[in-house]
Amino acid sequence: MKPRAYLTAFGLQWKIGLRYRIAVVAGLVAQMWFGAISLMAYAAVYHHAPDVGAPLTLRQAMTYTWLQQSLFTLLPLGCLPAVGDAARTGAIIYDLLRPVDLWNWWLSASLARLLGNAVPRAVLLACVAGPLAALAGLGAWSLAPPASPGAALLAAASFALGALLSATIVMLWNVMTARTLSPLGSYAIGTPLAVLLSGMLLPLPLYPEWARIVLVLQPFAGITDIPIRLYLGASLPGGPLGALGVQIFWLVAMTLGGRLWMRRIIDRLEVQGA
Amino acid sequence: MRIASPAIEVENLRKIYRVREGGSWRGRTREIVALDGISFAVPRGQIAGFIGPNGAGKSTAIKILSGILRPSSGLVRVGDLIPWENRIAHVARIGVVFGQRTQLWWDLSVGEGLALLRDIYGVEPDRFARNRARLADALDLHAIMDQSVRQLSLGQRMRAEIAAALIHDPEVLILDEPTIGLDAPSKLAVRAFVRDLRREQGTTVLLTTHDMHDIEALAERVIVIGHGRILADSPFEALRATTLSERRLEVDFIGTPPVFDLPPGAKETERDGRSVTITFDPRQIPAPALVAHLGALAGLDDLRIGRPAIEEIITRFYADHAS
Repeated sequence: MKPRAYLTAFGLQWKIGLRYRIAVVAGLVAQMWFGAISLMAYAAVYHHAPDVGAPLTLRQAMTYTWLQQSLFTLLPLGCLPAVGDAARTGAIIYDLLRPVDLWNWWLSASLARLLGNAVPRAVLLACVAGPLAALAGLGAWSLAPPASPGAALLAAASFALGALLSATIVMLWNVMTARTLSPLGSYAIGTPLAVLLSGMLLPLPLYPEWARIVLVLQPFAGITDIPIRLYLGASLPGGPLGALGVQIFWLVAMTLGGRLWMRRIIDRLEVQGA
Repeated sequence: MRIASPAIEVENLRKIYRVREGGSWRGRTREIVALDGISFAVPRGQIAGFIGPNGAGKSTAIKILSGILRPSSGLVRVGDLIPWENRIAHVARIGVVFGQRTQLWWDLSVGEGLALLRDIYGVEPDRFARNRARLADALDLHAIMDQSVRQLSLGQRMRAEIAAALIHDPEVLILDEPTIGLDAPSKLAVRAFVRDLRREQGTTVLLTTHDMHDIEALAERVIVIGHGRILADSPFEALRATTLSERRLEVDFIGTPPVFDLPPGAKETERDGRSVTITFDPRQIPAPALVAHLGALAGLDDLRIGRPAIEEIITRFYADHAS
C-alpha cells in the first residue's frame, strides 16, 4: 500500500477545487442571499409565534442557517466529476489499470474535491456572516461562536467525520456512475436527497417532533446537521457521543456495503470498444 | 537447464457476456460468446500482433490480460500472476495504451502527469528521472513536457500516452490500436520506438491494430482471431506467404469494360462503371502477365495494384475456416 498515491489523488482534486475562484465568489453571493431570506423567514415565524416550542432559539436557528449555507458544497450532490467524465468517455478503464485500491483512490479524490470546494467558501462566508456582520452592527443576525470550548471540540471532530461521511456517500454515487456509465443519475438522486435530508432546506431540528428521531438517525444528518447541533450545544437524542456514534456507524456501514457493491459492479463492468 | 516461463500464457480462455434484450422488466437475457476457448503463449521479449475484425474478441482478450475483466473460464498467467486475482500486483507490472482513450490528465501538463504516475506506481526518484529522460529523448517529448494535455495534437498526445505507459518499466506492454488516427510521420515514430524498446529493454509487446503496416513493421508473430477463436497463429512471414500473397488489381478501362475470361489464379471481384477489380495470386499469374492479358482485351486508362485490406483477408480467412 502506497499512501503517497492517495495523497496525490487528494492533491490533484484539491487543486482543481481551488481553481475556480469566480465560482467561490458567485457561490458566496448566492449563499448569503439564501441565508438572508431564510433568516428573515425565521425571524417572522419566531416573532409571531413565540410559543412555537421549537428546539432551537432564533439565534441558534440563525447560526445553524449560516453554517449550513457555508457548507453547501460539502454535501454529496452527485458523483465526483472526474469519475463521471471517465465513465462517459470510457477512460474509466485506466482507473482500473492503476496499482491502487480503487475505493481509497476515488475516496481520496472525492474528499479532496468536497474540501477544496467547501473550505474556501466556508472560511469566507464565516468571516462575512460572523465578525464582519457583527462589526457592521448586524450582530443580532450574525453567525455566533461555538456554545462552549467543549462544544467547539466536539463539533470539530464531528465536522471531520461529516466530511468523510459525505465523501463516502459520493463514493456510492461514483459506483452507481460506474454501473450506469453516466453521471446524470447520481445527480438526479443525490441532489434532492442531500439537500432535503442534510437539513439544508429546513434545519432538521425544526421538523415535526415525530419525524425528528428518524431524521437524525439517517446518514445525511451526519454530514452537517449533527456537527452544527454540537457547535450550537443543542440537544441531540442520545447525547453528543450518541450523535458521533451515528456518524461512525454510517461511515463503517456505508464503507463495507459500498466496497462490496463496488466489487460486484467492477467485476461486471464492460467498457465498450476499448 | 531451466526454460524461462513465457511472459503471457493463455489456456482455453472463454468469455460469455450476458446481454439483456427488450424492456427492463420483461427483457430476456441472451448470451454472447466473445471468446470461445483461445490458447496461446507469448515468450519474453517477443512482439506479437493480435489481429482480427471488429467484434472478433480482441478487446475482450486484451481486457482480460490487463486484469480489468474476469473471464468465464480458462487460465491466464502474465509473468506468473493471474491478472484478475492479483489485480494490483499485476497492473503494477504492465503498461497499457488504448489508442482511443487517454490516460493522461487533461488539466495537467505532460510532465505533471508523468510525476503523478510516478507517485501512483511508486517509482523511485532516480529511476523516474532516468526513465523520463530516456522516454523524452526517444519519443521527442522535450518540447511538449510543459504543455497541458488538452493542447496536444493527436500525434503528440499518443507519444505522451506511450511514455505514460512505460514510466514504471513494465515487463509487458499492451498496445491497443496505438496508431489509430495518426499521420504517417507519427506512425513511423511510434513503430520505431516500439522496435527499439523491444531491442533495448527486452519488453514483451502485445499489439492489436487494423493497420497491416504496423504488423509488417513490428510483429514477428501474428495471432489472427475471429468469432472468439484463434484462426491462425504463425510467424508473420508464414502468414504473408499463405494469406497475404494475394494482390488486388484495379483497372480503369477506356470506355465500357468488355466481358472477359481471366487466366488461372485471377478472379474478377467487382465491377463499377469503367473500373474492374481483380484479385490474383502472383505465384500463379505475375502482375505484368495479367496486365498484358488485359491490355490485349481493351484500352486501359489507369492501373492500381495493392494488397487486400486486413478486414477482407480476415473475413475470407474466417469463411475458409468456418467451413
